[in-house]
Amino acid sequence: MSPLHDWPYLVAAIAGLTVITVATRTSFFLLPARFTLPAGIERALRYAPACALAAIVAQGVFAPEQRPFISWYNNQMWALLAGSLVFAKTRNMVATITVGMAVFTVLRLWA
Amino acid sequence: MSPTSAPPRSLPARRLLPQMDHAAYQEGLRAMAPLAVAIGVWGLVTGVAMVNAGLTIPIALLMTFTVFAGSAQLAVLPLLATGTPLAVVWVTALLVNLRFVIFAAAGRRSFVHLPWQQRLVAGYLNGDLGFALFSRRFTEATDHGTPEQYGYFYGTAVVNWVSWQVASVAGILMGGLLPTEWGFVLAAYLALAAVLIPMVREVPALVGVAVTAALAVATVRWPMRLGLLVAVVAGVAVALAVEAVQGSVVARRAMPDSVLPQQGDA
Repeated sequence: MSPLHDWPYLVAAIAGLTVITVATRTSFFLLPARFTLPAGIERALRYAPACALAAIVAQGVFAPEQRPFISWYNNQMWALLAGSLVFAKTRNMVATITVGMAVFTVLRLWA
Repeated sequence: MSPTSAPPRSLPARRLLPQMDHAAYQEGLRAMAPLAVAIGVWGLVTGVAMVNAGLTIPIALLMTFTVFAGSAQLAVLPLLATGTPLAVVWVTALLVNLRFVIFAAAGRRSFVHLPWQQRLVAGYLNGDLGFALFSRRFTEATDHGTPEQYGYFYGTAVVNWVSWQVASVAGILMGGLLPTEWGFVLAAYLALAAVLIPMVREVPALVGVAVTAALAVATVRWPMRLGLLVAVVAGVAVALAVEAVQGSVVARRAMPDSVLPQQGDA
Protein backbone atom coordinates (compact mmCIF):
# COMPACT_ATOMS: atom_id res chain seq x y z
CA MET A 1 0.00 0.00 0.00
CA SER A 2 1.29 3.46 -0.86
CA PRO A 3 2.04 5.42 2.30
CA LEU A 4 -0.19 8.17 0.89
CA HIS A 5 -3.21 5.92 1.25
CA ASP A 6 -2.27 4.69 4.71
CA TRP A 7 -4.63 7.04 6.47
CA PRO A 8 -3.82 6.15 10.10
CA TYR A 9 -0.17 7.01 9.32
CA LEU A 10 -1.18 10.28 7.70
CA VAL A 11 -3.65 11.30 10.40
CA ALA A 12 -1.03 10.60 13.07
CA ALA A 13 1.53 12.57 11.08
CA ILE A 14 -0.86 15.53 10.72
CA ALA A 15 -1.80 15.46 14.41
CA GLY A 16 1.89 15.60 15.33
CA LEU A 17 2.59 18.36 12.81
CA THR A 18 -0.25 20.43 14.28
CA VAL A 19 1.09 19.99 17.81
CA ILE A 20 4.60 20.94 16.63
CA THR A 21 3.41 24.08 14.87
CA VAL A 22 1.30 25.23 17.81
CA ALA A 23 4.10 24.38 20.24
CA THR A 24 6.75 26.35 18.34
CA ARG A 25 4.51 29.34 17.63
CA THR A 26 3.20 29.62 21.16
CA SER A 27 6.43 28.55 22.92
CA PHE A 28 7.50 31.81 24.52
CA PHE A 29 3.94 33.11 24.78
CA LEU A 30 3.21 30.31 27.26
CA LEU A 31 6.52 29.96 29.10
CA PRO A 32 6.91 31.81 32.42
CA ALA A 33 8.85 35.08 32.13
CA ARG A 34 11.96 33.69 33.80
CA PHE A 35 12.67 31.59 30.69
CA THR A 36 14.56 33.59 28.09
CA LEU A 37 16.21 32.68 24.83
CA PRO A 38 20.01 32.58 25.34
CA ALA A 39 21.93 34.30 22.51
CA GLY A 40 23.83 31.15 21.57
CA ILE A 41 20.65 29.10 21.25
CA GLU A 42 19.00 31.87 19.29
CA ARG A 43 21.84 31.82 16.76
CA ALA A 44 21.51 28.06 16.32
CA LEU A 45 17.74 28.48 15.93
CA ARG A 46 18.31 31.06 13.20
CA TYR A 47 20.37 28.62 11.12
CA ALA A 48 18.26 25.50 11.64
CA PRO A 49 15.24 26.46 9.48
CA ALA A 50 17.47 27.57 6.59
CA CYS A 51 19.42 24.31 6.76
CA ALA A 52 16.27 22.19 7.05
CA LEU A 53 14.74 23.87 4.00
CA ALA A 54 18.03 23.48 2.09
CA ALA A 55 18.10 19.76 2.90
CA ILE A 56 14.54 19.25 1.65
CA VAL A 57 15.03 21.28 -1.53
CA ALA A 58 18.41 19.65 -2.26
CA GLN A 59 17.04 16.12 -1.86
CA GLY A 60 13.92 16.91 -3.86
CA VAL A 61 15.78 18.51 -6.75
CA PHE A 62 19.11 16.67 -6.81
CA ALA A 63 17.88 13.24 -5.64
CA PRO A 64 14.27 13.08 -6.87
CA GLU A 65 14.05 9.26 -6.80
CA GLN A 66 15.96 8.85 -3.51
CA ARG A 67 19.13 8.57 -5.58
CA PRO A 68 21.60 11.36 -6.37
CA PHE A 69 20.95 12.69 -9.88
CA ILE A 70 23.53 15.37 -10.56
CA SER A 71 23.59 15.71 -14.30
CA TRP A 72 23.12 18.22 -17.11
CA TYR A 73 19.93 16.27 -17.85
CA ASN A 74 18.40 17.08 -14.46
CA ASN A 75 15.62 19.44 -15.60
CA GLN A 76 14.61 20.31 -12.04
CA MET A 77 18.14 21.58 -11.40
CA TRP A 78 17.91 24.12 -14.24
CA ALA A 79 14.44 25.15 -13.12
CA LEU A 80 15.68 25.72 -9.56
CA LEU A 81 18.67 27.69 -10.83
CA ALA A 82 16.48 29.89 -13.04
CA GLY A 83 13.91 30.37 -10.28
CA SER A 84 16.57 31.26 -7.71
CA LEU A 85 18.12 33.86 -10.03
CA VAL A 86 14.70 35.39 -10.64
CA PHE A 87 14.03 35.49 -6.91
CA ALA A 88 17.42 37.05 -6.15
CA LYS A 89 16.63 39.76 -8.71
CA THR A 90 12.92 40.38 -8.00
CA ARG A 91 12.20 39.02 -4.49
CA ASN A 92 8.92 37.89 -6.04
CA MET A 93 7.73 34.38 -5.24
CA VAL A 94 5.10 34.35 -7.99
CA ALA A 95 7.72 35.21 -10.65
CA THR A 96 10.08 32.61 -9.17
CA ILE A 97 7.54 29.80 -9.44
CA THR A 98 6.35 30.89 -12.89
CA VAL A 99 9.84 31.08 -14.40
CA GLY A 100 11.02 27.88 -12.70
CA MET A 101 8.00 25.91 -13.91
CA ALA A 102 8.32 27.40 -17.41
CA VAL A 103 11.97 26.34 -17.66
CA PHE A 104 11.12 22.87 -16.35
CA THR A 105 8.24 22.47 -18.81
CA VAL A 106 10.28 23.63 -21.81
CA LEU A 107 13.11 21.21 -20.96
CA ARG A 108 10.67 18.37 -20.27
CA LEU A 109 8.93 18.77 -23.63
CA TRP A 110 11.77 19.76 -25.93
CA ALA A 111 15.14 18.89 -24.45
CA MET B 1 -5.94 39.36 33.03
CA SER B 2 -9.31 39.33 31.37
CA PRO B 3 -11.01 42.69 30.96
CA THR B 4 -13.63 42.93 33.73
CA SER B 5 -15.69 45.57 31.92
CA ALA B 6 -16.33 43.30 28.93
CA PRO B 7 -19.94 42.61 27.95
CA PRO B 8 -21.47 39.22 28.82
CA ARG B 9 -18.87 36.64 27.92
CA SER B 10 -21.21 34.13 26.36
CA LEU B 11 -19.68 33.86 22.89
CA PRO B 12 -16.69 31.50 22.75
CA ALA B 13 -14.91 34.15 20.67
CA ARG B 14 -14.96 36.47 23.68
CA ARG B 15 -13.00 33.95 25.68
CA LEU B 16 -10.52 33.29 22.89
CA LEU B 17 -9.83 36.85 21.76
CA PRO B 18 -8.51 39.84 23.71
CA GLN B 19 -10.11 43.28 23.65
CA MET B 20 -9.21 45.06 20.45
CA ASP B 21 -9.17 48.56 19.12
CA HIS B 22 -11.35 48.67 16.02
CA ALA B 23 -9.32 51.30 14.14
CA ALA B 24 -6.13 49.30 14.69
CA TYR B 25 -7.90 46.16 13.47
CA GLN B 26 -8.79 47.98 10.24
CA GLU B 27 -5.21 49.18 9.97
CA GLY B 28 -3.99 45.59 10.28
CA LEU B 29 -6.39 44.46 7.56
CA ARG B 30 -5.13 47.21 5.25
CA ALA B 31 -1.46 46.49 6.01
CA MET B 32 -1.81 42.81 5.14
CA ALA B 33 -4.17 43.20 2.14
CA PRO B 34 -1.43 43.88 -0.45
CA LEU B 35 0.31 40.66 0.62
CA ALA B 36 -2.83 38.57 0.13
CA VAL B 37 -1.91 37.76 -3.49
CA ALA B 38 1.51 36.39 -2.52
CA ILE B 39 -0.01 34.41 0.35
CA GLY B 40 -2.64 33.12 -2.07
CA VAL B 41 -0.08 31.90 -4.60
CA TRP B 42 1.89 30.20 -1.85
CA GLY B 43 -1.31 28.55 -0.57
CA LEU B 44 -2.31 27.51 -4.09
CA VAL B 45 1.07 25.91 -4.73
CA THR B 46 0.93 24.11 -1.38
CA GLY B 47 -2.57 22.81 -2.12
CA VAL B 48 -1.66 21.63 -5.62
CA ALA B 49 1.61 20.08 -4.42
CA MET B 50 -0.10 18.13 -1.62
CA VAL B 51 -2.59 16.50 -3.97
CA ASN B 52 -0.07 16.14 -6.81
CA ALA B 53 2.27 14.31 -4.45
CA GLY B 54 -0.54 11.81 -3.92
CA LEU B 55 -2.43 12.90 -0.79
CA THR B 56 -6.15 12.36 -1.02
CA ILE B 57 -8.38 15.44 -0.95
CA PRO B 58 -9.79 14.84 2.57
CA ILE B 59 -6.30 14.32 4.01
CA ALA B 60 -4.96 17.41 2.23
CA LEU B 61 -7.89 19.48 3.56
CA LEU B 62 -7.32 18.15 7.07
CA MET B 63 -3.67 19.09 6.83
CA THR B 64 -4.27 22.60 5.56
CA PHE B 65 -6.86 23.44 8.23
CA THR B 66 -4.94 21.99 11.16
CA VAL B 67 -1.23 22.40 10.46
CA PHE B 68 -1.48 25.86 8.86
CA ALA B 69 2.26 26.17 8.19
CA GLY B 70 3.19 26.23 4.51
CA SER B 71 6.92 25.58 4.75
CA ALA B 72 6.48 22.67 7.15
CA GLN B 73 3.67 21.17 5.08
CA LEU B 74 5.73 21.31 1.88
CA ALA B 75 8.87 20.11 3.62
CA VAL B 76 7.30 16.91 4.94
CA LEU B 77 5.45 16.03 1.70
CA PRO B 78 8.33 14.06 0.12
CA LEU B 79 8.86 12.32 3.46
CA LEU B 80 5.20 11.29 3.76
CA ALA B 81 5.22 10.10 0.16
CA THR B 82 7.99 7.63 0.97
CA GLY B 83 6.49 6.46 4.26
CA THR B 84 9.28 7.93 6.38
CA PRO B 85 8.98 7.06 10.10
CA LEU B 86 6.86 9.61 11.95
CA ALA B 87 9.69 10.64 14.27
CA VAL B 88 11.77 11.82 11.31
CA VAL B 89 8.77 13.59 9.75
CA TRP B 90 8.11 15.42 13.00
CA VAL B 91 11.72 16.37 13.69
CA THR B 92 12.00 17.77 10.15
CA ALA B 93 8.89 19.90 10.67
CA LEU B 94 10.23 20.99 14.05
CA LEU B 95 13.50 22.16 12.45
CA VAL B 96 11.66 24.12 9.76
CA ASN B 97 9.42 25.64 12.44
CA LEU B 98 12.17 26.63 14.87
CA ARG B 99 12.07 30.16 13.49
CA PHE B 100 8.66 30.52 15.16
CA VAL B 101 10.32 30.09 18.56
CA ILE B 102 12.34 33.23 17.82
CA PHE B 103 9.17 35.06 16.76
CA ALA B 104 7.42 33.99 19.96
CA ALA B 105 10.36 35.15 22.08
CA ALA B 106 10.39 38.49 20.27
CA GLY B 107 6.64 39.07 20.54
CA ARG B 108 5.98 37.71 24.00
CA ARG B 109 5.89 41.08 25.79
CA SER B 110 2.69 41.93 23.93
CA PHE B 111 0.91 38.66 24.66
CA VAL B 112 2.22 37.31 27.93
CA HIS B 113 -0.47 39.00 30.07
CA LEU B 114 -3.40 37.36 28.29
CA PRO B 115 -5.24 34.28 29.59
CA TRP B 116 -3.59 31.13 28.29
CA GLN B 117 -6.35 30.29 25.80
CA GLN B 118 -5.89 33.68 24.19
CA ARG B 119 -2.11 33.24 24.08
CA LEU B 120 -2.60 29.87 22.41
CA VAL B 121 -4.85 31.33 19.68
CA ALA B 122 -2.55 34.32 19.10
CA GLY B 123 0.49 32.08 18.92
CA TYR B 124 -1.18 29.71 16.47
CA LEU B 125 -1.91 32.67 14.16
CA ASN B 126 1.58 34.17 14.52
CA GLY B 127 2.93 33.30 11.07
CA ASP B 128 5.89 34.82 9.28
CA LEU B 129 4.24 37.79 7.60
CA GLY B 130 1.99 38.84 10.45
CA PHE B 131 4.97 38.74 12.76
CA ALA B 132 7.05 40.82 10.33
CA LEU B 133 4.36 43.51 10.05
CA PHE B 134 3.64 43.53 13.78
CA SER B 135 7.34 43.90 14.68
CA ARG B 136 7.80 46.72 12.20
CA ARG B 137 4.64 48.54 13.33
CA PHE B 138 5.44 48.41 17.06
CA THR B 139 9.25 48.61 17.18
CA GLU B 140 9.04 51.94 19.01
CA ALA B 141 6.19 50.94 21.32
CA THR B 142 6.76 51.39 25.04
CA ASP B 143 3.41 49.91 26.13
CA HIS B 144 2.86 46.26 25.35
CA GLY B 145 -0.35 44.31 25.22
CA THR B 146 -2.60 47.23 24.31
CA PRO B 147 -5.98 46.88 22.53
CA GLU B 148 -4.32 48.73 19.65
CA GLN B 149 -1.67 46.03 19.32
CA TYR B 150 -4.21 43.23 19.54
CA GLY B 151 -6.43 44.92 16.95
CA TYR B 152 -3.54 45.30 14.51
CA PHE B 153 -2.34 41.75 15.13
CA TYR B 154 -5.75 40.20 14.49
CA GLY B 155 -6.33 42.41 11.43
CA THR B 156 -3.20 40.99 9.80
CA ALA B 157 -3.99 37.48 11.06
CA VAL B 158 -7.47 37.45 9.52
CA VAL B 159 -6.19 38.44 6.05
CA ASN B 160 -3.39 35.90 6.34
CA TRP B 161 -5.63 33.04 7.46
CA VAL B 162 -8.44 33.69 4.98
CA SER B 163 -6.24 34.19 1.89
CA TRP B 164 -4.10 31.17 2.81
CA GLN B 165 -7.05 28.83 3.41
CA VAL B 166 -9.11 29.93 0.39
CA ALA B 167 -6.13 29.51 -1.91
CA SER B 168 -5.09 26.19 -0.34
CA VAL B 169 -8.56 24.72 -0.77
CA ALA B 170 -8.63 25.93 -4.39
CA GLY B 171 -5.22 24.34 -4.95
CA ILE B 172 -6.31 21.06 -3.36
CA LEU B 173 -9.41 20.87 -5.56
CA MET B 174 -7.39 21.82 -8.68
CA GLY B 175 -4.46 19.55 -7.86
CA GLY B 176 -6.30 16.38 -8.78
CA LEU B 177 -6.99 17.73 -12.28
CA LEU B 178 -3.33 18.45 -13.06
CA PRO B 179 -1.27 15.55 -14.44
CA THR B 180 1.63 14.43 -12.23
CA GLU B 181 4.06 14.65 -15.19
CA TRP B 182 3.65 18.41 -15.20
CA GLY B 183 5.83 18.26 -12.12
CA PHE B 184 3.96 20.54 -9.75
CA VAL B 185 5.89 19.10 -6.84
CA LEU B 186 8.76 21.18 -8.25
CA ALA B 187 6.63 24.29 -7.65
CA ALA B 188 6.78 23.41 -3.96
CA TYR B 189 10.59 23.32 -4.06
CA LEU B 190 10.66 26.65 -5.89
CA ALA B 191 8.41 28.15 -3.22
CA LEU B 192 10.66 26.75 -0.46
CA ALA B 193 13.70 28.20 -2.26
CA ALA B 194 12.00 31.61 -2.20
CA VAL B 195 11.58 31.26 1.58
CA LEU B 196 15.15 30.01 1.97
CA ILE B 197 17.08 32.59 -0.07
CA PRO B 198 16.37 35.62 2.18
CA MET B 199 17.65 33.59 5.15
CA VAL B 200 21.15 33.24 3.65
CA ARG B 201 22.35 36.80 3.41
CA GLU B 202 25.43 36.24 5.56
CA VAL B 203 28.46 34.02 5.03
CA PRO B 204 27.90 31.57 7.95
CA ALA B 205 24.36 30.81 6.78
CA LEU B 206 25.56 30.40 3.20
CA VAL B 207 28.26 27.91 4.19
CA GLY B 208 25.90 26.05 6.51
CA VAL B 209 23.24 25.76 3.82
CA ALA B 210 25.77 24.57 1.21
CA VAL B 211 27.14 21.91 3.57
CA THR B 212 23.62 20.78 4.46
CA ALA B 213 22.54 20.56 0.82
CA ALA B 214 25.59 18.51 -0.21
CA LEU B 215 25.26 16.15 2.77
CA ALA B 216 21.51 15.76 2.29
CA VAL B 217 22.02 14.58 -1.30
CA ALA B 218 24.98 12.36 -0.37
CA THR B 219 23.04 10.66 2.45
CA VAL B 220 19.69 10.39 0.68
CA ARG B 221 19.83 6.58 0.69
CA TRP B 222 20.39 6.27 4.43
CA PRO B 223 17.61 4.34 6.14
CA MET B 224 14.60 6.27 7.46
CA ARG B 225 15.85 9.48 5.79
CA LEU B 226 18.13 9.96 8.80
CA GLY B 227 20.71 11.59 6.51
CA LEU B 228 18.39 14.58 6.34
CA LEU B 229 18.68 15.22 10.06
CA VAL B 230 22.42 14.55 10.13
CA ALA B 231 22.86 17.03 7.27
CA VAL B 232 20.92 19.73 9.14
CA VAL B 233 22.81 19.24 12.39
CA ALA B 234 26.14 19.34 10.53
CA GLY B 235 25.08 22.44 8.59
CA VAL B 236 24.06 24.33 11.73
CA ALA B 237 27.32 23.33 13.45
CA VAL B 238 29.36 24.53 10.47
CA ALA B 239 27.43 27.81 10.32
CA LEU B 240 28.09 28.44 14.02
CA ALA B 241 31.77 27.55 13.56
CA VAL B 242 32.13 29.95 10.63
CA GLU B 243 30.42 32.64 12.69
CA ALA B 244 32.88 32.05 15.54
CA VAL B 245 35.85 32.17 13.16
CA GLN B 246 34.57 35.40 11.65
CA GLY B 247 35.24 36.92 15.03
CA SER B 248 33.05 38.72 17.49
CA VAL B 249 29.47 38.94 16.48
CA VAL B 250 28.84 42.44 15.25
CA ALA B 251 25.98 44.06 17.16
CA ARG B 252 23.08 41.85 16.20
CA ARG B 253 19.86 43.38 15.08
CA ALA B 254 17.16 43.17 17.70
CA MET B 255 14.74 41.51 15.28
CA PRO B 256 15.67 38.25 13.61
CA ASP B 257 15.40 39.75 10.11
CA SER B 258 17.36 36.93 8.61
CA VAL B 259 14.68 34.38 9.36
CA LEU B 260 11.86 36.46 7.91
CA PRO B 261 10.76 35.63 4.40
CA GLN B 262 10.16 38.56 2.08
CA GLN B 263 6.71 37.35 1.20
CA GLY B 264 4.61 34.25 1.13
CA ASP B 265 4.53 31.75 3.93
CA ALA B 266 1.54 31.46 6.20
